[in-house]
Amino acid sequence: MTRILGLVALIAVVAASANALFVVPADVNQGDAQRIMYVHVPSAWLAYLSFGVTALAGIGYLWRRDLRFDAIAVAGAEIGVMFTAFAIWGGMMWGRPVWGVFWQWEDPRLTTTALLLALYLGYLLFRRLTDDPHRRAARAAVVGLIAAVDIPIVHFSVEWWRGLHQTPTIGSPDKVLNPSAPGLFVIALVSMVAAFTLAWAWLMMRRYQLARIEWQIEEHGRLGRITAARRAAMAALPPADGAKEGA
Amino acid sequence: MPQTTIYAAPRTREQTPPPAVATHQLARLFGRSAALAGVSMRVETGSTVALLGPNGAGKTTLLRILATSLRPTFGSAEVGQVDVASHPELVRPRVAYLSHATALYDDLTAAENLAFAAAMRGLGSPSVGARAALDEVGLTLDADRRAGAFSAGMRRRLALGRLLLGTPSLVLLDEPHAALDADGMLLVDRLMERWRAERVTVVVASHQAERVLQLADGWASLESGLLVSAGGTGVSVLDDAPAGVPAAAVRA
Amino acid sequence: MNALRADVAVAWQIARKDALAELRGRQAAGSTIFFAGLVLLLFGFALGPDSRRLTEAAPGLLWLAIVFGSLLTVARLHQLEADDGALEELARYPIERHAIFLGKALSGFAAVLVLGGLLLPLVAILYGIDLAAAWPALLATLVLGAIGISAVGTFYAGVTVRMRAREVMLPLLMLPIIAPLLLAAVKATSAALLGDPLGDLGAWLQLLTAFDIVMLAAGAVTYGYLLEE
Repeated sequence: MTRILGLVALIAVVAASANALFVVPADVNQGDAQRIMYVHVPSAWLAYLSFGVTALAGIGYLWRRDLRFDAIAVAGAEIGVMFTAFAIWGGMMWGRPVWGVFWQWEDPRLTTTALLLALYLGYLLFRRLTDDPHRRAARAAVVGLIAAVDIPIVHFSVEWWRGLHQTPTIGSPDKVLNPSAPGLFVIALVSMVAAFTLAWAWLMMRRYQLARIEWQIEEHGRLGRITAARRAAMAALPPADGAKEGA
Repeated sequence: MPQTTIYAAPRTREQTPPPAVATHQLARLFGRSAALAGVSMRVETGSTVALLGPNGAGKTTLLRILATSLRPTFGSAEVGQVDVASHPELVRPRVAYLSHATALYDDLTAAENLAFAAAMRGLGSPSVGARAALDEVGLTLDADRRAGAFSAGMRRRLALGRLLLGTPSLVLLDEPHAALDADGMLLVDRLMERWRAERVTVVVASHQAERVLQLADGWASLESGLLVSAGGTGVSVLDDAPAGVPAAAVRA
Repeated sequence: MNALRADVAVAWQIARKDALAELRGRQAAGSTIFFAGLVLLLFGFALGPDSRRLTEAAPGLLWLAIVFGSLLTVARLHQLEADDGALEELARYPIERHAIFLGKALSGFAAVLVLGGLLLPLVAILYGIDLAAAWPALLATLVLGAIGISAVGTFYAGVTVRMRAREVMLPLLMLPIIAPLLLAAVKATSAALLGDPLGDLGAWLQLLTAFDIVMLAAGAVTYGYLLEE
């Protein structure tokens, strides 16, 4: 099942990318640099989606104490970090030809995404420093939740921060759409988003499966250790004598 | 909590009245090691039970789980028939725990430390209760000294005083005689006798087997996270230990 | 209702206990204030000697110094519990987990407010800004900023209190979260000092308030999970 999804995703991504990069005409104002949007926008959307999944999976763990939720959470965070980094890179690559610089503080999307990266790299690092699986899952859930709750606040604050300076920003529609062929641009963008989302779903499933296998090994290991501990303790006992009886 | 059965249990008829403490295949892992590997026992209300065993046997882990400071990994534990993992807030008012660490605030005086604890326990006049407890443990003269200036023995006495705040129905003691001088140890003995007279359930973990056995109704022995034997009254190992492990006797 | 009053009483007791410990805690609290003052001084060396540039940067530098000082403060307030197993004991009392959080956040708030209050005159002297005209707005910003820093700081201090590498994990986790507060507090402070030329002081204060409410609520709801083992 996952394999079929993977295949479909691959085909979709290749087809949509080919369309976006070669078939659709270039933007009148920004030239070919604008094509980066077709990659940057889906990446950003998937980053947000991944972190939303992480937050919800964290809540799921706290509610049910099932480590499978934690596996979903870590999958979301890792894949989210990947797409976030990709989105930032795309943003910088777009910025260089359009603004003349790699970084522009007044761009709210770029700064929000940078903060997003910092938040979730911190989350992953935090996970690494805790050993006990249940303790890690509970604490990571809580950390991930606060991070998710912060995102809308960051979004608003950075938007307002921009104030009166209206330099071109990543993803602002009036700069993306070419007045002569708006339909084609929208179709290209939407198809890229859809294709990337399929690829995201495939990545999430694979990562979750991997985490689930790790968890199963861990669970068996834990039960096994308890059984082994019991056997070892029993072997060390003196033989039962007749003076004791069952209660 | 996943309901994983570690070993199959033949059913026994539960004794009435309800026990103060009951554990069912209670297990706790720390990383790779099993501190408790499936402990099933009952402690009857009002009895004083000694928990014996060498270092690392799991005594402290068991007490901490009963005190709601640790969650079980597998199995369950009940205090007064309330599950400690699902409703710890109902268990906390009834339990007092003396741990290895004294849990004191160094910059506060002895009286302030106890008054704070009394307030946290919901007592009406915290400072009055604190003074009374200080009198009981013989720290009246040092009441207004910083806890940080106390010796180890005095700190232990102060921690003992904290147990006397409020009216717990279950008292858990982890090595209460440690770090105390002869007078201090007699104080512990006196308190244990008093709790016994008041029908407060007491579970005391100790290395000093002879000393606590004189004060206890029954005993249970832990080894490598398992209950290996029990005796006396008031405590029983539930009859679901695998064959080969002697089950406890409930002797009259 | 009774439960609410009980929670408030518990939180107040915890905050009071922390305040007593802080006031008696020898030099620890004073050292933090001294450190934050040093940071301000160093900023002067790093960005000066052009006083105009420093005056423009003053709000940002003030809040950076407050944030850095607060890192030490919130860590210390939780360390006071962890040192002798007191945090575990605190968790064993029959009290609500959110009351514990609010109590620690309250003492954190007081400490950060004092820190900010002492740094303001220092900033006025070092960077040549006039506080007198704008003091109500400045006070409001300071109070709202202190609430937010304390809420987030108390939460993350609870997260990192017993973990490895906690000295670096606390800032690493806390600073990205505090970025919007920093942004808003600095904007509000500049607006206040300049007499609110753009009329956006109110908006920034509202953002700060929203941040505070969200973080206090989130911290109160989740703190209990941090106390589990």
